[in-house]
Amino acid sequence: MIALVRLRLAGFLRTGRALAPLLAGLVALGTLYGGGRAQPAEAYGVSAVVLFPVLAWQTKILLDVEPDVQRRLAQVSVGVARERSAGLLAAGVAALATVAVALVFPWLVGGVTGPVDPGDRSVPVGLALGLWAHLLVVPAAVALGALASRASVGGAGYGVAVLALGGVGAVVLGLTGSVAPWLAPPLMATARASAGDAAALTLLGLSVWALAWSAAVVGGYLWRRRAQG
Amino acid sequence: MRLENVWLRYHRRGPWVLRGVDVRIGPGEVAVVLGRNGVGKSTLLQVAAGVLRPGRGRVSDRPGRVGWVPERFPADQPFTVARYLTGMARVAGLGRSAADDAVTAWTDRLGLARFRAVRLPELSKGTAQKVGLAQAILRPPGLLVLDEPWEGLDAATRELVPELIDEVLAADGAVLVSDHRGETVRLPGARRWTVADGALTEETPSADEAVAVVEVAVPASRVAGTVARLRADGHQILRVRPDAAPPARPAAPPIRPAGELAPERSGGTDAMVEPATGEAR
Repeated sequence: MIALVRLRLAGFLRTGRALAPLLAGLVALGTLYGGGRAQPAEAYGVSAVVLFPVLAWQTKILLDVEPDVQRRLAQVSVGVARERSAGLLAAGVAALATVAVALVFPWLVGGVTGPVDPGDRSVPVGLALGLWAHLLVVPAAVALGALASRASVGGAGYGVAVLALGGVGAVVLGLTGSVAPWLAPPLMATARASAGDAAALTLLGLSVWALAWSAAVVGGYLWRRRAQG
Repeated sequence: MRLENVWLRYHRRGPWVLRGVDVRIGPGEVAVVLGRNGVGKSTLLQVAAGVLRPGRGRVSDRPGRVGWVPERFPADQPFTVARYLTGMARVAGLGRSAADDAVTAWTDRLGLARFRAVRLPELSKGTAQKVGLAQAILRPPGLLVLDEPWEGLDAATRELVPELIDEVLAADGAVLVSDHRGETVRLPGARRWTVADGALTEETPSADEAVAVVEVAVPASRVAGTVARLRADGHQILRVRPDAAPPARPAAPPIRPAGELAPERSGGTDAMVEPATGEAR
């Protein structure tokens, strides 16, 4: 399965289509950090929200770049379960690389600052919270991108619709006072927790929520793949 | 391997492409899947290979290693021939060194050696088809599924396909192959499955299937047209050669069983054809 992950990552990187989501992510982060300096936890919380649709789009591109017949050849070679897993894993690895860029980016452009007031979090704690916020986004974005992929939805139009609906829904349903926040991954709640009181129980609850949402959407992706044949 | 009461359709409310297919193929056996365009030959092969999942019924005892040669190789990929085949060999479970050895051996054998550094999208259709053939056999398969494997191949590689099939069979593998060009006459011992109206029937060999070889002399300028016309009429062209020297054997050749139809290397005919014997071509 690792060989298939590597083959898919190589195919994704060699087409040049990997550049589009990366550039979009850099533009979004540049806009985010161009307005001033913030403390790491707060900045990274918002960065994770911004990256969610970018990573989902990146996942869709990675999965769509492989021709349908080649995907079937891989399935014949390694079996259904490992073919599906290899796609998700390759997308996860690509997403982690983009997250690494997003974590380093604000330090390069002077978008973050250390503690200012006595009660502020230290930089290591801020970094740890930022890393946690981004890691929560990865499975959710990979799940949404996979659900929007051609192998799952068929036509390109449906894929874009799923991606747009998921990206916008994650923000709108995550706003304070939302009637159905559980329908979206906890991106906004994570950003609020990073900026405010990040109690251990809150972090645990948000982690479970994000993983459960991702698992449900991956389940939908696998069901769609099964239905598509 | 056995297909047990397999039904398949592509959409929930679509028509059934396969209806209650029940068939078995064992180690060392080759079956040719015949039928008109669009009757479901490729669908049947993809079910057997594990690409498509039956809507009803099941496929049991499928060998662990399956090689599938699709009808059209997906050449729109950003790899060179060597990089792609090495990647597929690794995906099939070969180690780095074994993968390199297998790729070298098969690219040499299939005449792909000079294309190793060429990117897949730049290949001609026939060369891309050879890559498709190579990826399926880099690791000897227990089941080899060939969907129109002769399509687009040059004469030398067309001759090689039965050889590859024999090697899989000799290793106790099974082979399924579809063909609409009449090339499967090169597989005299093959079982013949005909797909029609979603159902599969197996032709049972009979004495009526004995064939005759007719030698025809035509002006050189009309060879291509004659060959095409004979093929269109369902005849199998065994050989075309330039001179019209009379054969060193009786003028009326005896009727021989299909299994003895290997082209002879000497003799004096311009073209050798056999009459169609009920098989779809």
